[in-house]
Amino acid sequence: MDELVKAITAALEDCELVLGWARDPATGAGRPERFTSAGQAQEAIFDATCVHNLAVHLPRLKQRRVGIVVKGCDARSVVELVVEREVERERVQVIGVGCDGVLDLKRIWRRHGYGVAIEDDGETLLVDGSEVERQPLLQHKCRHCLDADPSIYDVVVGGRTAEGPEPRGERQELAERFREMTPSQRRDFWRRQFARCIRCYACREACPMCFCRDVCIMQTQVPHWAGGEVNPKEAEMIQLIRVGHLAGRCTGCGECERACPVEIPLMLLMEEQNRALEEMLDYRAGTDIEARPPLLTFDPDRDLWGDE
Amino acid sequence: MTTTARAGRAAAEPLRPEPATIVEVIEETPNIKSLRVVFDDGELMKSFSFAPGQVGQLGILGVGEATFAISSAPSEKDFLQFSVMKTGVVTTAIHELAAGDKVTLRAPLGNSFPVEEWRGKNVLVVGGGIGMAPLRSLFMHLMDHREDYGDLQLIYGARTPADVCFSSDCSLWSEKRDVDFITTIDAEHPEWGGRVGLVPSVLEEENPSPENNVAVTCGPPVMLKFVFESLEKLGFREDQVYTTLERRMKCGIGLCGRCNVGPRYVCVDGPVFSLAELRRLPDEL
Amino acid sequence: MKFIAREDIPRWLERLAQAAAVWTPRRAPDGGETVLFLPWEQGSEPELDRFTDLSAKHLLLPASEKLFPFQYRLGGEGEQIEIGAAPATPESVVLFGARACDARATVVLDALFMQSPEKGYLAPYYRRRRQALAVITLACTRADAACFCSSWEEGTASREGSDVMLFPHEDGYLAEAVTGRGEELIGGEPFSERDAGPPDTAVTDQVPLAGLQEKFTAVFSRLDFWEEVTARCISCGYCTYACPTCHCFNIFDEMRDDRCGERCRSWDACMFYLYTLETSGHNPRPTIAHRYRNRIGHKFSYYPENQGTFLCTGCGRCIRGCPVSLDIRDVLRKVGDAR
Repeated sequence: MDELVKAITAALEDCELVLGWARDPATGAGRPERFTSAGQAQEAIFDATCVHNLAVHLPRLKQRRVGIVVKGCDARSVVELVVEREVERERVQVIGVGCDGVLDLKRIWRRHGYGVAIEDDGETLLVDGSEVERQPLLQHKCRHCLDADPSIYDVVVGGRTAEGPEPRGERQELAERFREMTPSQRRDFWRRQFARCIRCYACREACPMCFCRDVCIMQTQVPHWAGGEVNPKEAEMIQLIRVGHLAGRCTGCGECERACPVEIPLMLLMEEQNRALEEMLDYRAGTDIEARPPLLTFDPDRDLWGDE
Repeated sequence: MTTTARAGRAAAEPLRPEPATIVEVIEETPNIKSLRVVFDDGELMKSFSFAPGQVGQLGILGVGEATFAISSAPSEKDFLQFSVMKTGVVTTAIHELAAGDKVTLRAPLGNSFPVEEWRGKNVLVVGGGIGMAPLRSLFMHLMDHREDYGDLQLIYGARTPADVCFSSDCSLWSEKRDVDFITTIDAEHPEWGGRVGLVPSVLEEENPSPENNVAVTCGPPVMLKFVFESLEKLGFREDQVYTTLERRMKCGIGLCGRCNVGPRYVCVDGPVFSLAELRRLPDEL
Repeated sequence: MKFIAREDIPRWLERLAQAAAVWTPRRAPDGGETVLFLPWEQGSEPELDRFTDLSAKHLLLPASEKLFPFQYRLGGEGEQIEIGAAPATPESVVLFGARACDARATVVLDALFMQSPEKGYLAPYYRRRRQALAVITLACTRADAACFCSSWEEGTASREGSDVMLFPHEDGYLAEAVTGRGEELIGGEPFSERDAGPPDTAVTDQVPLAGLQEKFTAVFSRLDFWEEVTARCISCGYCTYACPTCHCFNIFDEMRDDRCGERCRSWDACMFYLYTLETSGHNPRPTIAHRYRNRIGHKFSYYPENQGTFLCTGCGRCIRGCPVSLDIRDVLRKVGDAR
């Protein structure tokens, strides 16, 4: 980890603060930290418990020069934020880290108790001292990751231990099951999921691309798009707002789903849309810093529906 | 306060409003209207009473409720008056109402000016803009009980002549010999023959004595800040100065949580606070 | 003491369900590993070995409820409005498998919602639900790294707010009636007598609470302190909605058609910008630091000052599920240490 500490310390010569992770004393897992001094940077870590996408903080810090430690997936958020001119590339020092996938900590904690001892070297995972199969305990997004290496960085720290993860897992099975459903079955499926929604908006607040923040139309009175009640119908509406507003902008970082306190498979919605848009527009958000996102660009000659 | 029909019902269902009807709409200024409202339940109207400074939740079913000071005097028994500035969703909808339209009311809510404690004292009332609404109720109450109080002075400031609220009251008050009433506007204006100057400067020019006096003020936050300073300059102690606060409110009964200033809830512990009380609270206005 | 075998729990729940709506911790349908307090149904398996992800406060303060229906009608004298009756609430509810922190939360909420009407706080909606509720608590013999209920004297063994206490024992649970209603709940089948005392319960992390009120007041105006401790906060409402004691709410109208609608109430969170935004555009708590400060103030200073009890029971939910790993205990310790 010395390499990471060194990189953060170096970045601090140029930046007011660096967003990274330090160990949470209560759990031993990574938690977001703002490093402002070389001394404090000694605490910096990166491992499979550093699940958060720190790019969510960038729009709030846009007036300042900041550094940020990113996994491959987080880097895509930085790219998309730059593409959408929410963040100036010149103001951000990007420290990339090689990643072997991060853990679904909530799942581990739900099974074994919050703060259970976790040891992981990128290949072997020990929970509470016993070896468990690693792959099923990774975040869903990590099980079919295409972005394990950051696409943009000013400096890269550490490499991957393992090969890219096997692109298989229960999420794909859920996606396949979902695709086979009839429209009414799909509706029932989501009603069942949204019955748990408490409208805490953690999905929105954890999303780096949801930077409308305090004026998000899910909550405003004018315009009044969603009602105020907590029920599956309204939850469906607010998720449709999210999905719609993230069309062509979602980088698949999975933070909405990770932040959801009741495990609503929000990425299933996002990934289905991302897949459709990729086919239609040949565009993956957050992969090309020079890109002009097709849905944010008006091009009268472009035929979106492919029947020219 | 006597037990009223509303008090009984409010105890059973405090969030359930009473149907009411608008009997008159007065256009005070380009963005302020006064609405005179009567409970549909005649018994309730007859038994209704309140004290100056108390507020009500005026609402339109389907749009929502908002909190307003009652701007009528307790002695005006035929209606309750609310003076509403057009700013948000509810107030915009209220501005579209006319006589005969239906509204809902939950009133009275909150505490009131301690007018009983002030008996025998001089009272200085300093208002600005829509902040005059609760002060109208207070000033009329003081005049209704003129013999209970010493000198009564009212300084009322508006931005321009067109922004002067309660103009018919103003002409009445300025004719009264037993009260000292001053209206002022912020800057010289061709249609204005009266006093010109910001409220705090007019206050300092008037130079009221703090001796046996209480000052009551309400207005925009920036005016309040300078009025407090002027009053202190004039020698008023914190416990001689009163104001009434505004916060976003929903329930009006101390439960929904949003109107707190530190440990105090504006809806039940206020809206009237002495400056001494305010200074003891965390600075989060 | 009374004893019930683990395998007899379903029989007991079935009996309870004959007279009351019964809620138990359960895996949510199609919900992964999430455990919530959900209505008991024939054949449903209570999940008694895990903590629930959300609290049971919705039994007293539903996430949203209809206060009353209303309608506009054209009558002989022009337009009239009709305000209907509040929907009925269940007459008897049993919460099965709460933990001591959940049960104690009802007592903490009672301090505000059940106080004498003279005080001006009138909450008949809460009162009806509270009076219908009986709580069967499962004492914790195991704590996790987020639990901190032992910050209060009784900790995991607190009987406050419980009607019945269950203590894990061998192949089942020892049952102790705390109230008269509790006596009724554990009377008769399928309970037997067993000669044993209640076992030791777990001890959790402890946060020093003494003097916190004064220390909060002292550090209140240091916005830099609050900015630092909340730097990682993203201002979602999870912590407030998962909390068994957070109770702030919103009131709003929903129209069902041109003439009919309902006035509704739903949870609201002090962490939202819109919560205190005034129509003038002024917001007394404009930043995350302001809002989190109010959250801490409400729980550990204002509520104790007004109601004589902390607005927290140490359940740890705000810690377990926080998307950015913000630990309220860290903040409390920093408030305690601030000089």
